[in-house]
Amino acid sequence: MAPSRALIRPTASLLSHARTPTSALLRQHTRLASTTSSSELPPPPQSASPPLPDPTHPSPTNQLPPPKLKALTAAQRAFLSSCLRVNQAGELAATLIYTAQTPLVVGREPHLKPLMQHMYDQEASHLSTFNALIHRHRVRPTALYPLWSVMATGLGWSTAVLGREAAMACTEAVETEIGNHYNAQIRALLEMVAAWEEEGYEVGAEFRELIGTLRRIRDEELEHLDHAVEHDAQKAEPHWLLTGVIRAGCKGAIWVSERV
Amino acid sequence: MSTTRCCNPRILNSPEDKPKPKSSSATSSSKMPARSFHSYDHPPPPGPFNETERAILSAAYAHVPQHGFTSEALALGARDAGYLDISTNLLPNGSFDLIRWHLVTRRDALVQKSKELEAAGMRTGDKVFALTWERLMGNRDVLVQWQEALAIMAQPSYVPASLKELAQLVDDIWFLSGDTAVDPSWYTKRASLSAIYVGAELFMTNDRSPDFADTRAFLRRRFDEVGEFGSALGSVGEWLSFTASAGVNVLRSKGAPI
Repeated sequence: MAPSRALIRPTASLLSHARTPTSALLRQHTRLASTTSSSELPPPPQSASPPLPDPTHPSPTNQLPPPKLKALTAAQRAFLSSCLRVNQAGELAATLIYTAQTPLVVGREPHLKPLMQHMYDQEASHLSTFNALIHRHRVRPTALYPLWSVMATGLGWSTAVLGREAAMACTEAVETEIGNHYNAQIRALLEMVAAWEEEGYEVGAEFRELIGTLRRIRDEELEHLDHAVEHDAQKAEPHWLLTGVIRAGCKGAIWVSERV
Repeated sequence: MSTTRCCNPRILNSPEDKPKPKSSSATSSSKMPARSFHSYDHPPPPGPFNETERAILSAAYAHVPQHGFTSEALALGARDAGYLDISTNLLPNGSFDLIRWHLVTRRDALVQKSKELEAAGMRTGDKVFALTWERLMGNRDVLVQWQEALAIMAQPSYVPASLKELAQLVDDIWFLSGDTAVDPSWYTKRASLSAIYVGAELFMTNDRSPDFADTRAFLRRRFDEVGEFGSALGSVGEWLSFTASAGVNVLRSKGAPI
Protein backbone atom coordinates (compact mmCIF):
# COMPACT_ATOMS: atom_id res chain seq x y z
CA MET A 1 0.00 0.00 0.00
CA ALA A 2 2.60 2.54 1.04
CA PRO A 3 4.95 2.44 -1.95
CA SER A 4 2.29 2.90 -4.55
CA ARG A 5 0.57 5.72 -2.77
CA ALA A 6 3.89 7.42 -2.16
CA LEU A 7 4.45 7.14 -5.86
CA ILE A 8 1.17 8.59 -6.94
CA ARG A 9 0.84 11.37 -4.43
CA PRO A 10 4.01 13.37 -5.29
CA THR A 11 3.33 13.18 -9.00
CA ALA A 12 -0.22 14.29 -8.58
CA SER A 13 0.65 17.16 -6.29
CA LEU A 14 3.42 18.33 -8.59
CA LEU A 15 1.05 18.36 -11.48
CA SER A 16 -1.68 20.19 -9.64
CA HIS A 17 0.80 22.87 -8.52
CA ALA A 18 1.80 23.52 -12.10
CA ARG A 19 -1.66 24.26 -13.33
CA THR A 20 -0.74 24.29 -17.02
CA PRO A 21 2.33 22.15 -17.30
CA THR A 22 4.25 22.21 -20.52
CA SER A 23 4.30 18.93 -22.31
CA ALA A 24 8.02 18.55 -21.58
CA LEU A 25 7.44 19.03 -17.86
CA LEU A 26 4.57 16.61 -17.93
CA ARG A 27 6.57 14.03 -19.79
CA GLN A 28 9.31 14.36 -17.23
CA HIS A 29 6.88 13.71 -14.42
CA THR A 30 5.29 10.81 -16.13
CA ARG A 31 8.63 9.30 -16.93
CA LEU A 32 9.47 9.67 -13.27
CA ALA A 33 6.26 7.88 -12.47
CA SER A 34 6.95 5.05 -14.83
CA THR A 35 10.55 4.52 -13.82
CA THR A 36 9.89 4.61 -10.12
CA SER A 37 6.96 2.29 -10.39
CA SER A 38 8.92 -0.34 -12.26
CA SER A 39 12.10 -0.11 -10.24
CA GLU A 40 10.89 0.60 -6.73
CA LEU A 41 7.41 -0.75 -6.56
CA PRO A 42 7.58 -4.40 -7.57
CA PRO A 43 9.77 -5.78 -4.82
CA PRO A 44 7.86 -5.32 -1.58
CA PRO A 45 10.04 -5.14 1.53
CA GLN A 46 9.66 -8.83 2.23
CA SER A 47 10.80 -9.92 -1.20
CA ALA A 48 14.36 -9.42 0.03
CA SER A 49 14.02 -12.81 1.68
CA PRO A 50 13.93 -15.30 -1.20
CA PRO A 51 11.10 -17.80 -1.15
CA LEU A 52 13.50 -20.60 -1.96
CA PRO A 53 14.71 -22.69 0.95
CA ASP A 54 18.31 -21.98 1.73
CA PRO A 55 20.38 -24.92 0.46
CA THR A 56 23.37 -23.94 2.60
CA HIS A 57 21.35 -24.39 5.74
CA PRO A 58 20.56 -28.09 5.93
CA SER A 59 17.31 -28.60 7.73
CA PRO A 60 16.92 -31.81 9.72
CA THR A 61 14.24 -32.91 7.28
CA ASN A 62 16.49 -32.93 4.21
CA GLN A 63 17.15 -36.66 4.53
CA LEU A 64 13.51 -37.51 3.96
CA PRO A 65 12.83 -38.25 0.30
CA PRO A 66 9.39 -36.57 -0.02
CA PRO A 67 9.30 -32.80 0.50
CA LYS A 68 8.18 -31.98 3.99
CA LEU A 69 5.35 -29.52 3.76
CA LYS A 70 3.34 -28.16 6.62
CA ALA A 71 -0.41 -28.66 6.46
CA LEU A 72 -2.24 -25.43 5.77
CA THR A 73 -4.19 -24.16 8.74
CA ALA A 74 -7.86 -23.32 8.44
CA ALA A 75 -6.99 -19.62 8.58
CA GLN A 76 -4.43 -20.00 5.81
CA ARG A 77 -6.83 -21.89 3.59
CA ALA A 78 -9.51 -19.28 4.22
CA PHE A 79 -7.01 -16.57 3.31
CA LEU A 80 -5.96 -18.32 0.10
CA SER A 81 -9.60 -18.87 -0.84
CA SER A 82 -10.44 -15.23 -0.34
CA CYS A 83 -7.32 -14.22 -2.31
CA LEU A 84 -8.31 -16.22 -5.35
CA ARG A 85 -11.95 -15.19 -5.07
CA VAL A 86 -11.26 -11.47 -4.87
CA ASN A 87 -8.63 -11.65 -7.62
CA GLN A 88 -11.02 -13.37 -9.97
CA ALA A 89 -13.71 -10.77 -9.23
CA GLY A 90 -11.17 -7.99 -9.79
CA GLU A 91 -9.95 -9.28 -13.12
CA LEU A 92 -13.52 -9.89 -14.24
CA ALA A 93 -14.30 -6.27 -13.43
CA ALA A 94 -11.15 -5.09 -15.22
CA THR A 95 -11.99 -6.90 -18.45
CA LEU A 96 -15.51 -5.48 -18.35
CA ILE A 97 -14.27 -1.94 -17.68
CA TYR A 98 -11.99 -2.08 -20.72
CA THR A 99 -14.70 -3.75 -22.82
CA ALA A 100 -17.09 -0.92 -22.02
CA GLN A 101 -14.48 1.83 -22.50
CA THR A 102 -12.87 0.66 -25.72
CA PRO A 103 -15.57 1.51 -28.32
CA LEU A 104 -16.09 5.00 -26.91
CA VAL A 105 -12.43 5.88 -26.40
CA VAL A 106 -11.32 4.38 -29.71
CA GLY A 107 -14.26 6.00 -31.51
CA ARG A 108 -13.01 9.41 -30.47
CA GLU A 109 -9.27 8.73 -30.71
CA PRO A 110 -8.47 5.80 -33.00
CA HIS A 111 -4.75 5.96 -32.23
CA LEU A 112 -5.51 4.55 -28.75
CA LYS A 113 -6.82 1.31 -30.19
CA PRO A 114 -3.58 -0.71 -29.81
CA LEU A 115 -3.19 0.45 -26.21
CA MET A 116 -6.75 -0.42 -25.22
CA GLN A 117 -6.46 -3.75 -26.99
CA HIS A 118 -3.17 -4.49 -25.25
CA MET A 119 -4.57 -3.70 -21.80
CA TYR A 120 -7.73 -5.68 -22.48
CA ASP A 121 -5.77 -8.70 -23.69
CA GLN A 122 -3.64 -8.71 -20.55
CA GLU A 123 -6.70 -8.45 -18.30
CA ALA A 124 -8.41 -11.27 -20.20
CA SER A 125 -5.37 -13.49 -19.70
CA HIS A 126 -5.33 -12.63 -15.96
CA LEU A 127 -9.00 -13.53 -15.73
CA SER A 128 -8.46 -16.91 -17.37
CA THR A 129 -5.50 -17.52 -15.05
CA PHE A 130 -7.64 -16.94 -11.98
CA ASN A 131 -10.60 -18.86 -13.40
CA ALA A 132 -8.30 -21.85 -13.77
CA LEU A 133 -6.87 -21.41 -10.26
CA ILE A 134 -10.34 -21.08 -8.71
CA HIS A 135 -11.39 -24.30 -10.36
CA ARG A 136 -8.17 -26.14 -9.58
CA HIS A 137 -8.15 -25.23 -5.91
CA ARG A 138 -11.90 -25.71 -5.54
CA VAL A 139 -12.60 -22.19 -4.32
CA ARG A 140 -16.11 -20.82 -4.39
CA PRO A 141 -16.40 -17.93 -6.87
CA THR A 142 -17.81 -14.67 -5.57
CA ALA A 143 -21.56 -14.78 -5.07
CA LEU A 144 -21.87 -11.16 -6.25
CA TYR A 145 -20.56 -11.96 -9.73
CA PRO A 146 -23.58 -10.41 -11.49
CA LEU A 147 -23.36 -7.28 -9.34
CA TRP A 148 -19.66 -6.78 -10.13
CA SER A 149 -20.40 -7.32 -13.83
CA VAL A 150 -23.04 -4.59 -13.89
CA MET A 151 -21.02 -2.17 -11.76
CA ALA A 152 -17.80 -2.63 -13.75
CA THR A 153 -19.57 -2.15 -17.08
CA GLY A 154 -21.30 0.93 -15.69
CA LEU A 155 -18.02 2.35 -14.40
CA GLY A 156 -16.21 1.76 -17.67
CA TRP A 157 -19.01 3.17 -19.76
CA SER A 158 -19.63 6.28 -17.65
CA THR A 159 -15.96 7.25 -17.40
CA ALA A 160 -15.55 6.74 -21.14
CA VAL A 161 -18.54 9.00 -21.79
CA LEU A 162 -16.81 11.70 -19.73
CA GLY A 163 -13.85 11.56 -22.10
CA ARG A 164 -10.47 9.99 -22.58
CA GLU A 165 -8.93 11.72 -19.54
CA ALA A 166 -11.67 10.41 -17.26
CA ALA A 167 -11.35 6.93 -18.73
CA MET A 168 -7.61 7.01 -18.08
CA ALA A 169 -8.17 8.41 -14.58
CA CYS A 170 -10.45 5.44 -13.96
CA THR A 171 -7.67 3.10 -15.06
CA GLU A 172 -5.21 4.98 -12.89
CA ALA A 173 -7.41 4.74 -9.80
CA VAL A 174 -8.35 1.11 -10.31
CA GLU A 175 -4.83 -0.07 -11.06
CA THR A 176 -3.44 1.83 -8.06
CA GLU A 177 -5.82 0.01 -5.76
CA ILE A 178 -5.21 -3.30 -7.50
CA GLY A 179 -1.44 -2.86 -7.27
CA ASN A 180 -1.70 -2.20 -3.53
CA HIS A 181 -4.01 -5.12 -3.14
CA TYR A 182 -1.70 -7.55 -4.94
CA ASN A 183 1.25 -6.25 -2.95
CA ALA A 184 -0.58 -6.92 0.30
CA GLN A 185 -1.38 -10.45 -0.83
CA ILE A 186 2.18 -11.17 -1.93
CA ARG A 187 3.48 -9.81 1.36
CA ALA A 188 1.16 -12.08 3.36
CA LEU A 189 2.13 -15.10 1.26
CA LEU A 190 5.83 -14.38 1.67
CA GLU A 191 5.31 -14.11 5.40
CA MET A 192 3.69 -17.54 5.37
CA VAL A 193 6.65 -18.88 3.41
CA ALA A 194 9.13 -17.24 5.79
CA ALA A 195 7.36 -18.78 8.79
CA TRP A 196 7.51 -22.23 7.19
CA GLU A 197 11.19 -21.89 6.40
CA GLU A 198 11.90 -20.76 9.93
CA GLU A 199 10.33 -23.97 11.21
CA GLY A 200 12.34 -26.09 8.77
CA TYR A 201 9.53 -26.90 6.38
CA GLU A 202 9.86 -26.78 2.63
CA VAL A 203 7.83 -24.73 0.21
CA GLY A 204 6.02 -26.54 -2.57
CA ALA A 205 6.04 -25.70 -6.27
CA GLU A 206 2.34 -24.89 -6.06
CA PHE A 207 3.00 -22.04 -3.67
CA ARG A 208 6.03 -20.72 -5.51
CA GLU A 209 4.09 -20.66 -8.75
CA LEU A 210 1.21 -18.84 -7.09
CA ILE A 211 3.52 -16.14 -5.76
CA GLY A 212 5.25 -15.87 -9.14
CA THR A 213 1.89 -15.50 -10.90
CA LEU A 214 0.75 -12.82 -8.50
CA ARG A 215 4.00 -10.89 -8.99
CA ARG A 216 3.78 -11.05 -12.76
CA ILE A 217 0.16 -9.91 -12.76
CA ARG A 218 0.89 -7.13 -10.25
CA ASP A 219 3.65 -5.82 -12.52
CA GLU A 220 1.36 -5.86 -15.54
CA GLU A 221 -1.34 -3.98 -13.64
CA LEU A 222 1.16 -1.31 -12.61
CA GLU A 223 2.20 -1.05 -16.26
CA HIS A 224 -1.41 -0.14 -17.06
CA LEU A 225 -1.18 2.51 -14.36
CA ASP A 226 1.82 4.02 -16.15
CA HIS A 227 0.04 3.90 -19.51
CA ALA A 228 -2.93 5.71 -18.00
CA VAL A 229 -0.74 8.43 -16.49
CA GLU A 230 1.09 8.81 -19.82
CA HIS A 231 -2.26 9.36 -21.51
CA ASP A 232 -3.34 12.35 -19.44
CA ALA A 233 -5.16 10.55 -16.65
CA GLN A 234 -4.23 13.39 -14.34
CA LYS A 235 -5.73 16.02 -16.62
CA ALA A 236 -9.20 14.68 -15.88
CA GLU A 237 -11.45 17.22 -14.23
CA PRO A 238 -11.91 16.90 -11.28
CA HIS A 239 -9.13 14.35 -10.96
CA TRP A 240 -9.19 14.10 -7.16
CA LEU A 241 -12.92 13.45 -7.09
CA LEU A 242 -12.90 10.83 -9.84
CA THR A 243 -9.95 8.88 -8.52
CA GLY A 244 -11.09 9.27 -4.92
CA VAL A 245 -14.54 7.90 -5.61
CA ILE A 246 -13.27 5.06 -7.80
CA ARG A 247 -10.57 4.08 -5.33
CA ALA A 248 -13.03 4.05 -2.46
CA GLY A 249 -15.36 1.93 -4.57
CA CYS A 250 -12.53 -0.48 -5.38
CA LYS A 251 -11.61 -0.80 -1.72
CA GLY A 252 -15.21 -1.54 -0.82
CA ALA A 253 -15.56 -4.09 -3.59
CA ILE A 254 -12.33 -5.82 -2.53
CA TRP A 255 -13.51 -5.91 1.07
CA VAL A 256 -16.83 -7.45 0.09
CA SER A 257 -15.40 -9.93 -2.43
CA GLU A 258 -12.96 -11.30 0.11
CA ARG A 259 -15.94 -12.31 2.22
CA VAL A 260 -18.88 -13.08 -0.06
CA MET B 1 -5.63 -3.56 3.45
CA SER B 2 -3.47 -4.81 6.26
CA THR B 3 -6.24 -4.05 8.71
CA THR B 4 -8.64 -6.55 7.21
CA ARG B 5 -9.11 -9.68 9.21
CA CYS B 6 -8.27 -12.23 6.59
CA CYS B 7 -5.08 -10.55 5.45
CA ASN B 8 -3.56 -10.28 8.89
CA PRO B 9 -0.38 -12.36 8.77
CA ARG B 10 -0.35 -12.70 12.54
CA ILE B 11 -3.53 -14.71 12.26
CA LEU B 12 -2.23 -16.61 9.26
CA ASN B 13 0.83 -17.81 11.12
CA SER B 14 -0.84 -18.27 14.46
CA PRO B 15 -0.34 -21.67 16.06
CA GLU B 16 -4.07 -22.27 16.00
CA ASP B 17 -3.44 -25.50 14.11
CA LYS B 18 -1.84 -27.21 17.11
CA PRO B 19 -3.04 -30.80 17.02
CA LYS B 20 -5.77 -30.82 19.59
CA PRO B 21 -8.11 -33.67 20.45
CA LYS B 22 -10.65 -33.36 17.74
CA SER B 23 -14.23 -34.05 18.61
CA SER B 24 -16.60 -34.96 15.87
CA SER B 25 -19.49 -32.99 17.26
CA ALA B 26 -21.77 -31.67 14.59
CA THR B 27 -21.46 -28.12 15.85
CA SER B 28 -17.66 -28.00 15.73
CA SER B 29 -17.60 -29.44 12.24
CA SER B 30 -20.15 -26.99 10.92
CA LYS B 31 -17.99 -24.10 12.10
CA MET B 32 -15.25 -25.09 9.67
CA PRO B 33 -15.61 -23.53 6.25
CA ALA B 34 -17.52 -25.93 4.06
CA ARG B 35 -15.26 -25.42 1.09
CA SER B 36 -11.82 -23.94 1.14
CA PHE B 37 -8.57 -23.77 -0.75
CA HIS B 38 -7.65 -27.29 -1.80
CA SER B 39 -3.89 -27.76 -1.97
CA TYR B 40 -2.25 -30.45 -4.09
CA ASP B 41 1.15 -30.09 -2.41
CA HIS B 42 0.37 -29.70 1.25
CA PRO B 43 -0.91 -32.52 3.42
CA PRO B 44 -4.70 -32.45 3.69
CA PRO B 45 -6.33 -31.03 6.81
CA PRO B 46 -7.43 -33.58 9.40
CA GLY B 47 -10.60 -35.39 8.42
CA PRO B 48 -13.85 -35.19 10.36
CA PHE B 49 -13.09 -38.30 12.45
CA ASN B 50 -10.07 -39.25 14.54
CA GLU B 51 -8.57 -42.72 14.69
CA THR B 52 -10.66 -44.08 17.58
CA GLU B 53 -13.83 -42.70 16.11
CA ARG B 54 -13.00 -44.28 12.79
CA ALA B 55 -12.40 -47.68 14.41
CA ILE B 56 -15.68 -47.61 16.34
CA LEU B 57 -17.77 -46.16 13.52
CA SER B 58 -16.53 -48.49 10.81
CA ALA B 59 -17.23 -51.48 13.04
CA ALA B 60 -20.63 -50.09 14.04
CA TYR B 61 -21.52 -49.41 10.42
CA ALA B 62 -21.59 -53.18 9.77
CA HIS B 63 -24.47 -53.44 12.26
CA VAL B 64 -26.54 -50.67 10.69
CA PRO B 65 -28.56 -52.81 8.23
CA GLN B 66 -29.81 -54.86 11.18
CA HIS B 67 -29.93 -52.38 14.06
CA GLY B 68 -30.31 -49.09 12.25
CA PHE B 69 -28.43 -45.86 12.98
CA THR B 70 -28.85 -46.39 16.71
CA SER B 71 -26.85 -46.53 19.91
CA GLU B 72 -27.18 -50.34 19.83
CA ALA B 73 -25.26 -50.43 16.56
CA LEU B 74 -22.64 -48.11 18.09
CA ALA B 75 -22.28 -50.25 21.22
CA LEU B 76 -21.94 -53.43 19.15
CA GLY B 77 -19.39 -51.69 16.97
CA ALA B 78 -17.37 -50.51 19.95
CA ARG B 79 -17.31 -54.07 21.27
CA ASP B 80 -16.23 -55.41 17.85
CA ALA B 81 -13.44 -52.87 17.68
CA GLY B 82 -12.18 -53.93 21.09
CA TYR B 83 -13.44 -50.99 23.11
CA LEU B 84 -15.75 -50.94 26.10
CA ASP B 85 -19.43 -50.27 25.43
CA ILE B 86 -19.09 -47.01 27.35
CA SER B 87 -16.57 -45.70 24.81
CA THR B 88 -19.44 -44.72 22.52
CA ASN B 89 -19.48 -41.64 24.76
CA LEU B 90 -16.58 -40.48 22.62
CA LEU B 91 -19.20 -39.78 19.99
CA PRO B 92 -21.30 -37.01 21.52
CA ASN B 93 -23.92 -37.06 18.79
CA GLY B 94 -24.41 -40.81 18.92
CA SER B 95 -26.51 -41.98 16.05
CA PHE B 96 -25.94 -38.80 14.03
CA ASP B 97 -22.20 -39.50 14.04
CA LEU B 98 -22.96 -42.88 12.57
CA ILE B 99 -25.09 -41.23 9.88
CA ARG B 100 -22.33 -38.77 9.17
CA TRP B 101 -19.87 -41.65 8.88
CA HIS B 102 -22.15 -43.13 6.22
CA LEU B 103 -22.40 -39.80 4.37
CA VAL B 104 -18.67 -39.10 4.45
CA THR B 105 -17.52 -42.60 3.45
CA ARG B 106 -20.09 -42.88 0.62
CA ARG B 107 -19.03 -39.46 -0.63
CA ASP B 108 -15.34 -40.36 -0.50
CA ALA B 109 -16.07 -43.52 -2.50
CA LEU B 110 -17.07 -41.31 -5.44
CA VAL B 111 -13.42 -40.40 -6.03
CA GLN B 112 -12.64 -43.96 -7.09
CA LYS B 113 -15.77 -44.15 -9.24
CA SER B 114 -14.92 -40.88 -10.96
CA LYS B 115 -11.54 -42.31 -11.96
CA GLU B 116 -13.29 -45.26 -13.61
CA LEU B 117 -15.62 -42.90 -15.44
CA GLU B 118 -12.67 -40.77 -16.48
CA ALA B 119 -10.94 -43.84 -17.90
CA ALA B 120 -14.14 -44.71 -19.78
CA GLY B 121 -13.99 -41.28 -21.42
CA MET B 122 -17.46 -40.05 -20.43
CA ARG B 123 -18.71 -36.52 -21.02
CA THR B 124 -19.12 -34.17 -18.04
CA GLY B 125 -22.92 -34.25 -18.10
CA ASP B 126 -22.98 -38.05 -18.18
CA LYS B 127 -20.46 -38.20 -15.38
CA VAL B 128 -22.66 -36.01 -13.19
CA PHE B 129 -25.54 -38.40 -13.74
CA ALA B 130 -23.38 -41.48 -13.19
CA LEU B 131 -21.85 -40.15 -9.97
CA THR B 132 -25.24 -39.08 -8.60
CA TRP B 133 -26.54 -42.55 -9.36
CA GLU B 134 -23.48 -44.12 -7.76
CA ARG B 135 -24.07 -42.10 -4.61
CA LEU B 136 -27.75 -43.12 -4.48
CA MET B 137 -26.68 -46.74 -4.82
CA GLY B 138 -24.44 -46.15 -1.81
CA ASN B 139 -27.64 -45.99 0.24
CA ARG B 140 -28.78 -49.40 -0.98
CA ASP B 141 -27.41 -51.45 1.92
CA VAL B 142 -28.93 -49.22 4.58
CA LEU B 143 -32.08 -48.32 2.67
CA VAL B 144 -34.51 -49.87 5.17
CA GLN B 145 -33.02 -47.61 7.86
CA TRP B 146 -32.72 -44.56 5.67
CA GLN B 147 -36.07 -42.89 6.37
CA GLU B 148 -35.25 -42.98 10.05
CA ALA B 149 -31.84 -41.52 9.30
CA LEU B 150 -33.42 -38.72 7.28
CA ALA B 151 -35.64 -37.94 10.25
CA ILE B 152 -32.59 -37.68 12.54
CA MET B 153 -30.80 -35.47 10.01
CA ALA B 154 -33.82 -33.17 9.97
CA GLN B 155 -33.59 -32.51 13.72
CA PRO B 156 -32.84 -28.81 14.16
CA SER B 157 -29.44 -29.24 15.81
CA TYR B 158 -28.25 -31.52 13.00
CA VAL B 159 -29.65 -29.56 10.06
CA PRO B 160 -26.56 -27.35 9.54
CA ALA B 161 -24.17 -30.31 9.50
CA SER B 162 -26.51 -32.27 7.22
CA LEU B 163 -26.82 -29.39 4.77
CA LYS B 164 -23.07 -28.95 4.80
CA GLU B 165 -22.64 -32.60 3.89
CA LEU B 166 -25.15 -32.19 1.07
CA ALA B 167 -23.27 -29.13 -0.19
CA GLN B 168 -19.98 -31.03 -0.11
CA LEU B 169 -21.55 -33.97 -1.91
CA VAL B 170 -22.84 -31.93 -4.83
CA ASP B 171 -19.61 -29.92 -4.95
CA ASP B 172 -17.65 -33.16 -5.15
CA ILE B 173 -19.91 -34.52 -7.88
CA TRP B 174 -19.47 -31.43 -10.05
CA PHE B 175 -15.75 -31.20 -9.42
CA LEU B 176 -15.10 -34.90 -9.98
CA SER B 177 -17.13 -34.72 -13.18
CA GLY B 178 -14.67 -32.16 -14.48
CA ASP B 179 -16.99 -29.16 -14.54
CA THR B 180 -14.87 -26.00 -14.77
CA ALA B 181 -17.56 -23.30 -14.49
CA VAL B 182 -16.57 -20.51 -12.10
CA ASP B 183 -19.31 -18.01 -12.94
CA PRO B 184 -22.77 -17.74 -11.34
CA SER B 185 -23.67 -21.11 -12.87
CA TRP B 186 -21.35 -22.53 -10.20
CA TYR B 187 -24.16 -21.76 -7.74
CA THR B 188 -27.14 -22.75 -9.89
CA LYS B 189 -25.53 -26.06 -10.80
CA ARG B 190 -24.96 -26.96 -7.18
CA ALA B 191 -28.40 -25.79 -6.10
CA SER B 192 -30.23 -27.75 -8.78
CA LEU B 193 -28.20 -30.90 -8.19
CA SER B 194 -28.94 -30.65 -4.44
CA ALA B 195 -32.66 -30.47 -5.14
CA ILE B 196 -32.48 -33.41 -7.56
CA TYR B 197 -30.44 -35.51 -5.19
CA VAL B 198 -32.69 -34.93 -2.17
CA GLY B 199 -35.78 -35.71 -4.25
CA ALA B 200 -34.29 -38.89 -5.68
CA GLU B 201 -33.08 -40.02 -2.27
CA LEU B 202 -36.57 -39.67 -0.82
CA PHE B 203 -38.11 -41.38 -3.84
CA MET B 204 -35.70 -44.27 -3.48
CA THR B 205 -36.79 -45.06 0.10
CA ASN B 206 -40.19 -46.13 -1.28
CA ASP B 207 -38.94 -47.72 -4.47
CA ARG B 208 -39.58 -51.48 -4.66
CA SER B 209 -38.78 -51.93 -8.35
CA PRO B 210 -35.97 -54.33 -9.32
CA ASP B 211 -32.56 -52.64 -9.30
CA PHE B 212 -34.31 -49.36 -8.47
CA ALA B 213 -35.32 -48.88 -12.10
CA ASP B 214 -38.03 -46.42 -11.04
CA THR B 215 -35.53 -44.30 -9.13
CA ARG B 216 -33.24 -44.26 -12.13
CA ALA B 217 -36.10 -43.14 -14.38
CA PHE B 218 -37.05 -40.50 -11.80
CA LEU B 219 -33.47 -39.23 -11.69
CA ARG B 220 -33.28 -39.15 -15.49
CA ARG B 221 -36.49 -37.10 -15.71
CA ARG B 222 -35.21 -34.57 -13.15
CA PHE B 223 -31.93 -34.16 -15.05
CA ASP B 224 -33.78 -33.65 -18.33
CA GLU B 225 -36.08 -31.04 -16.78
CA VAL B 226 -33.17 -29.05 -15.39
CA GLY B 227 -31.41 -29.27 -18.74
CA GLU B 228 -34.47 -27.91 -20.58
CA PHE B 229 -35.00 -25.15 -18.05
CA GLY B 230 -31.34 -24.19 -18.15
CA SER B 231 -31.21 -23.98 -21.93
CA ALA B 232 -34.44 -21.92 -22.02
CA LEU B 233 -32.95 -19.53 -19.47
CA GLY B 234 -29.75 -19.37 -21.47
CA SER B 235 -31.66 -18.54 -24.65
CA VAL B 236 -33.52 -15.71 -22.95
CA GLY B 237 -30.25 -14.31 -21.62
CA GLU B 238 -28.63 -14.53 -25.04
CA TRP B 239 -31.59 -12.77 -26.67
CA LEU B 240 -31.52 -9.99 -24.07
CA SER B 241 -27.80 -9.32 -24.42
CA PHE B 242 -28.00 -9.43 -28.22
CA THR B 243 -30.88 -6.95 -28.25
CA ALA B 244 -29.11 -4.62 -25.83
CA SER B 245 -25.84 -4.57 -27.77
CA ALA B 246 -27.69 -4.19 -31.09
CA GLY B 247 -29.60 -1.21 -29.62
CA VAL B 248 -26.42 0.44 -28.42
CA ASN B 249 -24.79 -0.09 -31.81
CA VAL B 250 -27.78 1.41 -33.66
CA LEU B 251 -27.60 4.50 -31.45
CA ARG B 252 -23.83 4.72 -32.00
CA SER B 253 -24.33 4.52 -35.75
CA LYS B 254 -26.70 7.51 -35.48
CA GLY B 255 -23.86 9.46 -33.84
CA ALA B 256 -25.06 9.31 -30.24
CA PRO B 257 -22.05 9.76 -27.93
CA ILE B 258 -22.59 6.56 -25.97
